[in-house]
Amino acid sequence: MSDDRCEVTVTVNGEERSLAVECRRTLAEVLREDLGLTGTHLGCEHGVCGACTVAVDGAAARSCLMLAVQADGCEIETVESLGTEEKLHPIQQAMWDEHGFQCAFCAPGFLMTVYCLLRENPAPTPEEIREELSGNLCRCTGYASILTGVQAALSRGAAADA
Amino acid sequence: MREGLAGKYVGAKVRRVEDRRLLTGRGRYIDDLNLPDMAHAAFLRSPYPHAHIRRVDIDSARRMAGVFLVLTGADMARLTNPFLGMMALDGLYDPVFYALATDRVRVVGDPVAIVVAESRRVAEDACELIDVEYEPIAAIANMAQAMDPMRPPIWPRARSNVLWEDSQTYGDVEVAFAGADRVIRERFAQHRQSNQPMETRGSVAEIDPVSGELIFHSATQSAHSLKWSLAFLLERTSVWRSIRELATNREKPRKFVVGARAFIKSHPDLRTATKSSQPAMLKQLRREPKRIVHLSEALLGLLAKDPSRRPRVLAQDIGGAFGAKGLVPREDVALATAALQLGRSVKWIEDRNEHLMVGGQAREETLDIDVAVTSDGTILGLKVHMTMDVGAYPGFPFNGAFFAQMVKVMMPGPYRIGALRFDTTITASNKGTYVPYRGPWAAETWVRERMIDVVARELGIGRADIRLANMIGADELPAAMVTGPPLDVRMSARRTLEEALRVADFDSWDAIRDQARSEGRIVGMGLATFIEAAPGPPKFFDYISPGFSALAGVEPAHAVLEVDGSLSVITQQVPHGQGHETTLAQVAADELGVAVEAVRVRYGDSSITPFSLFGTGGSRSAAMAGGVVTVAAQELRQRVVDIASDLMEASTEDIVIEDGHIHVAGTPAIGVSFAEVAAEAVRRRPGSPSDGAIRVTSEWDGGAGGWAQATHVCWVEIDLDTGLVTIPRYVVVEDCGELINPAIVDGQIRGGVAQGIGAVLYERAAYDGDANFQAGTFMDFLIPTAMEIPDVEIHHLQTPSDIFANYRGVGEGGMIAAPAALTNAIEDALAHLGARITEQHLPPARILELAGVIEAEAPTEVGPPDYSAAAAVPAPRPSLIRERMPTLTPAQAQAVRRTATSVRSGARRFADRYAGRP
Ligand code: FES
Ligand code: FES
Repeated sequence: MSDDRCEVTVTVNGEERSLAVECRRTLAEVLREDLGLTGTHLGCEHGVCGACTVAVDGAAARSCLMLAVQADGCEIETVESLGTEEKLHPIQQAMWDEHGFQCAFCAPGFLMTVYCLLRENPAPTPEEIREELSGNLCRCTGYASILTGVQAALSRGAAADA
Repeated sequence: MREGLAGKYVGAKVRRVEDRRLLTGRGRYIDDLNLPDMAHAAFLRSPYPHAHIRRVDIDSARRMAGVFLVLTGADMARLTNPFLGMMALDGLYDPVFYALATDRVRVVGDPVAIVVAESRRVAEDACELIDVEYEPIAAIANMAQAMDPMRPPIWPRARSNVLWEDSQTYGDVEVAFAGADRVIRERFAQHRQSNQPMETRGSVAEIDPVSGELIFHSATQSAHSLKWSLAFLLERTSVWRSIRELATNREKPRKFVVGARAFIKSHPDLRTATKSSQPAMLKQLRREPKRIVHLSEALLGLLAKDPSRRPRVLAQDIGGAFGAKGLVPREDVALATAALQLGRSVKWIEDRNEHLMVGGQAREETLDIDVAVTSDGTILGLKVHMTMDVGAYPGFPFNGAFFAQMVKVMMPGPYRIGALRFDTTITASNKGTYVPYRGPWAAETWVRERMIDVVARELGIGRADIRLANMIGADELPAAMVTGPPLDVRMSARRTLEEALRVADFDSWDAIRDQARSEGRIVGMGLATFIEAAPGPPKFFDYISPGFSALAGVEPAHAVLEVDGSLSVITQQVPHGQGHETTLAQVAADELGVAVEAVRVRYGDSSITPFSLFGTGGSRSAAMAGGVVTVAAQELRQRVVDIASDLMEASTEDIVIEDGHIHVAGTPAIGVSFAEVAAEAVRRRPGSPSDGAIRVTSEWDGGAGGWAQATHVCWVEIDLDTGLVTIPRYVVVEDCGELINPAIVDGQIRGGVAQGIGAVLYERAAYDGDANFQAGTFMDFLIPTAMEIPDVEIHHLQTPSDIFANYRGVGEGGMIAAPAALTNAIEDALAHLGARITEQHLPPARILELAGVIEAEAPTEVGPPDYSAAAAVPAPRPSLIRERMPTLTPAQAQAVRRTATSVRSGARRFADRYAGRP
């Protein structure tokens, strides 16, 4: 069954990629293993923790629950598309300033969730932010620092960059 | 960018050095490591909690395309040394077992075979082709079953599922109880919890293609402990072969012996440590003579092994641990063995289901407590009987029984408790391994703080009043806990309580609650105070296990001026979220007069970091690593200044270092750089500069040490339609001495509180009455989200002190106190409905049961039988060892005695030689 391959064409972080992948493989696996984008993390592989969150056509999606073939023709954005170490994206910058994360294993998922949220809703209320972020688990922080980070990003106009 | 205040980084909310790479997805977590030609491993695991393995057929799996290797328990018994319990507790049965199950499985998820294949997917497919014939055995699912003498032991050598019993008395318990007006009794049960970091366990066993050496990349909390454990467990060698090796090549063991001798010499207490545990170790050998063979094979093998065959352990970014990554995973031993067999690198990343099943579970403890009190609420003494279910396989090298000792010693907390009897019963079950979880001894705080509320209720005294009446105040310090550890003058638990009562406006609470009740709202408020030995008074660990301070109480570090003039701090700590790359750099930068970015903190590589078995854990980093980095950086500064003063022809007292610039006071225009000092140091130093231009190695024993402490106040509101508990406000008033980085301190506290709330209201590593695991996904094991965790209001106190490196730890405190504050609040809220909170897990259905809204269901996890009858008359216990000793024939007995004597005298000779005695 491992010879059962499918052709997939996706745009990842602005670059079009054509791949032949085993049909049963998830989008997360292909991003991490075939494209070397290891910023997308796998915390549960069953759709609960949100560590694997990426943007699929602009909407937050769990790349562990999505087969790579389902992403055919889609535009994917991962944490690597946000900012670089030299020039952080405003959301990353705010998280840095506010000590948003600790082990940061959950960080890529949260960052992509926030990125998609701000794109959809540039002025979310604190309640909306909390609710939107409740799809991502963090075991280290108790969430307060992440929520503060989102507020800081908002107050600096990060929504414009989302 | 200068973030410090007035040239000082310590105390400032410095942004983390590690964050740029972590926030951009450029971290290097274990699963991000991909090596050329790397294979992937998966484990076949037992679906049964308890069964004999009658047959394992791996043929079709091995023949599957893409599969490179399949190993089973039989292979492990041939290729590796077994895990051997090393806990020298008199009478504890500490079993011998292999990385993979051999003849029996003892827990759902027990690894039976490892498959190595071209991909994880193929390895998992191949697991399905392995045919195992199991013959199920009745399982031990709870403490009551473990104590049932009719049920056979899961470790046949143990003779019973009660692995250890102990009783210890401090102070005059009989007098305390005789003088009491009342003895109040309660039983409290903690449920099975689990650490569950967002990143599971995982390792990559890399085989150097040229040398064949093993480089073991791992998400571990302690690189050196993993390295030496693997060196001990891997590559089993027969005694004769080792002896032959040693005889033909005497150079091999020489370096090892020289190193060991140096270590023992610099830690003289080690001799005391081994001496006091020798009788217990010998008893274990006598009880299970096969251990002698395993021990000799492992130890002689280690001695005869070429140092290049000892693995190098490398840890990089780690996605949290909370204690779950401090022990040696059985899977790591199977993985490394597979890689060595194949001569090829292999990766294993645990999945969440595996991590929930066997990645570590904790805290399943029941405590029966009797409190002797006078009618005015003075606590005279305690009798506590703790029963701990350590599951099937003990943690290596830390058996759960070790943490029971910590509960015992910490039981009095900051209270004036003059007498304590503490009984311990350790039971085995067919459940996951007991691992330390963030404040593993926290049962003492939960039970004590819960019980104080019970006593207050029984005597009709206020909850704050009874605490204030019994808690040790500043005017009584220094003092000592009845269990031994001294309480120094900075022990400020009572100050945190007084401040918390003020912040919470405690005096108005009863009126507020009653008003709310009259409006139909169910609200409550709970208090809890704790102290934590972080790092504790000098030699704290000796109170837990005599001599243990010598092993665990010393922190090493290197401070290095590199050849190019840059600065490094090299630590044995293995950070996994605590931000050591920032905090240790802050400490060093202040001492050296440089910017925080100028200090690089290096960690995780056993080949460059100084030796310590402790790694990161126990809330010790700030005090121990912060302390040793201060010492090392001061000495490095001195050496830099010495050279700079020569170069500038000035006296050393006149040299200042500011913003990375070395100059003579008053003439900042003329000076030298660190690079110039480094060049001069290299010129002066004979030999190769591979260790840097100047390298300082320091050790720090914690100095005056001391306690971290806090009082938590939790408010709850309960919805009696749904059973949901919400937390409208949560306050922490804490004193951990000087803060290195307040943002990191607050983050640690908040994270701990969140885990405590999760444990009480949501999470449970549940098993059914036959020990089948019930919580294998995040849909069953519920980790709270941003919707459930409240804002935590933190107030810092600092007891003034001028002691050196006045840092104390906060890593665990949040989780130690939160379950107590929260359950106390819930009882306060439901008290008028007659609810009594004696268990720690309170999910909505249980809340409704306790409030009398729905009928209670029978519990599946049953505690030990009631001790109260026995508690009344202390039962004289015959020697358990003798009772359970296997009966030996006279010839066997003599052989055992002979071996024991020669082992003992051999060990003495070795010890004498190490200590340089004739
Ligand atoms: S890994 Fe996808 S949701 Fe957890
Ligand atoms: S920071 Fe560790 S899981 Fe979120």
